[in-house]
Amino acid sequence: MTNKKRVALGNGLVYLILLAMTVAVLIPVLWMLSTSLKNDTELFTIPPRWIPEDITFASYQRIWEDYPFLNYFMNSIMVVSLSTLIALVFSCLAGYGVSRFRFRGKGMFLTFLLVTQMFPSIMLLIPFYKIIQVMGLTNTHLALILTYISFTIPLCSWMMLGYFQGIPKELDEAAAIDGCGRLRTFIQIVFPLSLPGVSATAIYSFITGWNEYMYALVLTQSEKMKTVPVGIGQLIGQYKIMWNDMMAASLVATIPLSILFVFFQKYLISGLTAGAVKS
Amino acid sequence: MKKSYAYSSSWSGYWFILPALLTMLVLIAYPLLYGVYISGFNTNLLNKWDFVGLKYYIQILSDTEFLNKIWITLKYAALVVAGNFVVGMSLALLLNREIKFRLLFRAILILPWLFPDVVVALLWKWLYNPLYGLFNYLLQSMHLIKTPIEWLDSQHFALFGVAIASVWKGYPLVMIMLLAGLQSISKDLYEAAEIDGCNKWQLFRHITIPGLMPVTLVVLILETVWWFKHFTIVWLLTAGGPINVTSVVSIDIYRTAFQSFQFGRASAMAVIVFVICLLMSYVYRRLLETNDQ
Amino acid sequence: MATRTKWLNATLMLFLALALVVTGCGGNSSSDNSKSGSSSGGSSGGSSNSQSGGSGSSGSSDEQITLRIVSPTVVENPEGEVETKYAEEYMKLHPNVKIEFIGVPMNEVYAKIITMATGRDMPDIFINSPEFYARAYEMGLTEDLNTLLGEEFVNGFHPATLREAVIDGQLQYAPFFTIPTGLLYRKDWFEEEGLSVPETWDEFVAAAQKLTKDTDGDGNVDRWGFAMVGSKNGSGGSRFIPIMRTFGAAELVKNENGEWVTQFDTPEAAQAFQLYGDLVNKYEVVPPGPFQTSYAEAVSLMASEKTAMMVTGPHTIGAVLKQNPSLEGKLAGAPLPHAPGKDTVSVLGMLGFSIYNGSKHKEVAADYLKFILSKENQLEWNKVTGRFPSRLDALEDPQIQSPTLSGFMQAMDFAFQVPDVPFYADVQVAAAEGYQSVIGKQAGAEEAAKRAAEAVNQLLESLK
Repeated sequence: MTNKKRVALGNGLVYLILLAMTVAVLIPVLWMLSTSLKNDTELFTIPPRWIPEDITFASYQRIWEDYPFLNYFMNSIMVVSLSTLIALVFSCLAGYGVSRFRFRGKGMFLTFLLVTQMFPSIMLLIPFYKIIQVMGLTNTHLALILTYISFTIPLCSWMMLGYFQGIPKELDEAAAIDGCGRLRTFIQIVFPLSLPGVSATAIYSFITGWNEYMYALVLTQSEKMKTVPVGIGQLIGQYKIMWNDMMAASLVATIPLSILFVFFQKYLISGLTAGAVKS
Repeated sequence: MKKSYAYSSSWSGYWFILPALLTMLVLIAYPLLYGVYISGFNTNLLNKWDFVGLKYYIQILSDTEFLNKIWITLKYAALVVAGNFVVGMSLALLLNREIKFRLLFRAILILPWLFPDVVVALLWKWLYNPLYGLFNYLLQSMHLIKTPIEWLDSQHFALFGVAIASVWKGYPLVMIMLLAGLQSISKDLYEAAEIDGCNKWQLFRHITIPGLMPVTLVVLILETVWWFKHFTIVWLLTAGGPINVTSVVSIDIYRTAFQSFQFGRASAMAVIVFVICLLMSYVYRRLLETNDQ
Repeated sequence: MATRTKWLNATLMLFLALALVVTGCGGNSSSDNSKSGSSSGGSSGGSSNSQSGGSGSSGSSDEQITLRIVSPTVVENPEGEVETKYAEEYMKLHPNVKIEFIGVPMNEVYAKIITMATGRDMPDIFINSPEFYARAYEMGLTEDLNTLLGEEFVNGFHPATLREAVIDGQLQYAPFFTIPTGLLYRKDWFEEEGLSVPETWDEFVAAAQKLTKDTDGDGNVDRWGFAMVGSKNGSGGSRFIPIMRTFGAAELVKNENGEWVTQFDTPEAAQAFQLYGDLVNKYEVVPPGPFQTSYAEAVSLMASEKTAMMVTGPHTIGAVLKQNPSLEGKLAGAPLPHAPGKDTVSVLGMLGFSIYNGSKHKEVAADYLKFILSKENQLEWNKVTGRFPSRLDALEDPQIQSPTLSGFMQAMDFAFQVPDVPFYADVQVAAAEGYQSVIGKQAGAEEAAKRAAEAVNQLLESLK
């Protein structure tokens, strides 16, 4: 059956492309892993060595013992989780509001969100610090939470808007007719259908906040408050880079992110909106 | 037709957008205005505030070097955004299918996004290194080249080299956003079209692409803006070299502000970048906007 | 209607609550900072935390004082350990004092200080340097240390360091260490080849050529004479500029009228650019990829024994040895070579500590600075980090007068004062663009020199 063969060939091509990209992604990552297992003397050999002669987990030990990475992790998790949550709530509200209501300034609001992304953020650093300082929030978790919310709301709102627009208003109305209050309508009917959008924006929000460096550096002062990127940045000295520790820390830092991703990505599957209109 | 009873009251709409709006106004609008304000001064932000009016703007815009750098930044942004979209779109389509090991592939292919910019930049700098780097080593051990290639030293390749590293880091975001966008295209549409006898390509062109257009537009605008403003990867890989080949504008802004401490001038550059971003997004919307009301 | 209103009210409440929390947390910023920044020490945050907590609260009748210090070295390794140790020792001697470090990587430290200054949230002590001190003075951040430290103490600094630390007769910062630029070279290889330390650039080229060879006979050169830092940043520019000065051309000097002028467009400057181009293209004594070679890469080249010489300061010895301990005793320093008839040149690369003139604890801060500048502590700093003391008593110690380090010691006397113009970083980049054009064969030396001069003149224009 030529059709079956065609399908098989198609599938084969799919796997081939995916495999090729996987290799392109994994080669640098494996190099990171290899570096994290080397001691200082083996870092820069010519030719480069994949497997160190002297495999050592000292870097992994050091990041927990010599630097307070556990501390940094806790801070990051706390700050980024909360900021993601709040950003999601605000964005869902905004997206829902724009998609369901007619009011003046809708377009302006949306454009405003985009426009806030267009100024080089490094120049916003100092006035931003001033605001935080006036509110008395320097060196607190709340400062970073507010910062990251302001970074991610624009894209999240737009994404959620797009999602809600794809969910027919008839559903809302049908629910209203059935006697559902607005809140119930949102939670039980509209929200579940927008889970892929929520997933993607949650992932985006989390990763963006997790990896942010400059603002975290400026807004935190004590070791107690620093986040993971700031911790990693400290491994880059004026005259020396602690390559192995940096790679080890970076790899370990991806673990919470990966766990989160695995959890959320299961909502990125087809079929959630199927049949929604019919029922 | 029954009118949606509660949904036309305009006040409720405002309540919904209030949290987001308030947050952005307080946290971003003030800094934005501040940034524009100080671009008219020769200032150190503390005790020196010499009004210079539009002097910086005139100086900057009449400097051909700066205009050249804008051009280079546009090239860089174009390369990276194109790369991100091609790779991101392809992978989103592939990872949308029900294939074996889908979760594994997704988890691996998202990895580059999980590392901080600094780490990605330093990693790639190392990979590109002529003597210690992996790329030359692999090519040499496969006997494809004899002498090491000086990737980032080459005036022809440097911009591509920087763009490739950026795409490696940047494609997962586009991939995830497009993947989410694909979920919202109703399967019924595909089924109906298939029944009508459309082939795969036609399905793609007439259902997938239009269905993705809203997401694509937003992500395209934001991606272009983000990579136009991007700093870290270019700075750490080449610092703008060789000579001037990868001198993106963000490097000048950074140097002017935090090495020369001339905040007014740096702000003027930032405002110019801001205006360019506005223009670009306007162009995009005109070209691509489908009715998204 | 009821449910809708209920929900909207709930949302509004949530938001109001958030707003209240935010403003409620506001208040006296200084009390907030001392509350939240209660950990001291840099990298060894955990252990020193408890230690300082103990010594701080040991019943003392004196007023409890907290000194906040912004320092980039405290987050580095091994500098951080030594710096933290000083703090701990001081706290033991003065139980009523608590020292809190605000560690920021060097690349971001001035941005942080400026941010804190604009937020009126300055620490008591902060890092300062020739690159920043004019800016800090202009912002009114520094206290005159002549009065705080006393004339006798100030006279104990090496005069070269003071030259770049004083403005309008006021001492801006207490120089803490210097890393005078010189030529770092492989003493053992020089001895093998029967070479003496080069004093002119011709001798340098000859030595580099002799040391560039194929050591394992596989037909490829695997050892080069010179690890050139050719990157397009301050790292590269700040090495090229002293070299250019040894030809007799300065990137910026004051003319008879006291105005800054550039000498980039002189034949001597062109010679310097030509040298860089020739080293790479004509004599081929530089490993491939000079544009990507910033400081860290050059250190690795020296450590992996790929190169014989490097333009840098004494701190590099420690960095190289860390990557390759077998090079102990094989490295030495010398002043930079120079053009015939000219002098050698060096740059101090200094860092020091300023006291904020709005600080409430200036005397204690000054006392702490004197403590870390004691001969013993200075020598220990040198031993661990390789950086040079700024104090004369420490510099005269045999530890510094060792054969390895004495070359750098000599270089110190030839240090030039970094021109105090706000755009100096751009001047360094203009130099870098220049040598990259020559090496990349995009322009001849004279053309490149001219372009660099144009760039600098444009910068000078913008000052007016």
